[in-house]
Amino acid sequence: MTDTQTLISFFVLAVASVASAIGVIIFRNAVHSALSLILTLLFLALFYLQLGAMFIAIVQILIYAGAIMVLFLFVVTMLASELRDTELPDRIPWQRGVAATLGLILVGALSYLLFTGTTIVTSAKASGANSLSQVVATQGDTQAFGLALFHGFAFPFEVTSLVIVVAMLGAMVLGRKS
Amino acid sequence: MTISVSWYLVVSAIIFTVGVIGVLVRRNPLVIFMSIELMLNAVNLSFVAFSHYLDSVDGLMFVFLVLTIAAAEVVVGLAIIVSIFRTRRDIDVDDMNVLRG
Repeated sequence: MTDTQTLISFFVLAVASVASAIGVIIFRNAVHSALSLILTLLFLALFYLQLGAMFIAIVQILIYAGAIMVLFLFVVTMLASELRDTELPDRIPWQRGVAATLGLILVGALSYLLFTGTTIVTSAKASGANSLSQVVATQGDTQAFGLALFHGFAFPFEVTSLVIVVAMLGAMVLGRKS
Repeated sequence: MTISVSWYLVVSAIIFTVGVIGVLVRRNPLVIFMSIELMLNAVNLSFVAFSHYLDSVDGLMFVFLVLTIAAAEVVVGLAIIVSIFRTRRDIDVDDMNVLRG
């Protein structure tokens, strides 16, 4: 891809993902919010593809947009018949305005820090055998990921399985009829 | 003109802030959960961007772990919401202000 194409696709993806992210918090209906979130996750997966992280992009679609959002939609539809369509009036009426202002301040501060602090990035670049692009060029993206996961990150990977077991137990305990 | 890492980080910051505002403003716990997912995904985007620009695989590992933790968190969170709904027949977070069943 040429530079211009990358630039255009970046901006299209950026606008689309931010718009669908705003959709998540704006839609009144929880199902619409969930669909908007799925859209955001797909756009982020395209971002990952653009950044050359193919395996993560596929995992994002399979696990997030697939498994997690299906779980969300199950619960939403399970509770939908009982949920009110309209929320009660806010107890704190100025809440929305304050949240929007604080959000703008947060975006401004983060952007300012990001644009003034990029010197750190270039100085910390990996080189030689640690270089991802070299490993990807010789072995491919997925194999590079797997090698790193089972060599350097084997212990965190094993701990994750423990976390999942605990989460499963928690869901069973909470879902039990007492 | 090439895309620097800051641009990805700004997109990530905007999506993160949208998630924060969602948690602050909405009172449907399901939508609050979705906003938390938005925040996790914004952080994932910055991890992937850093991994690309630093040319290191470590960022991708963190994304993988965050994905797993997010799945576990959603399972437990939705179970809590369903069990609250069973006992109270109503899920507005403004009404949930006591720590007993």
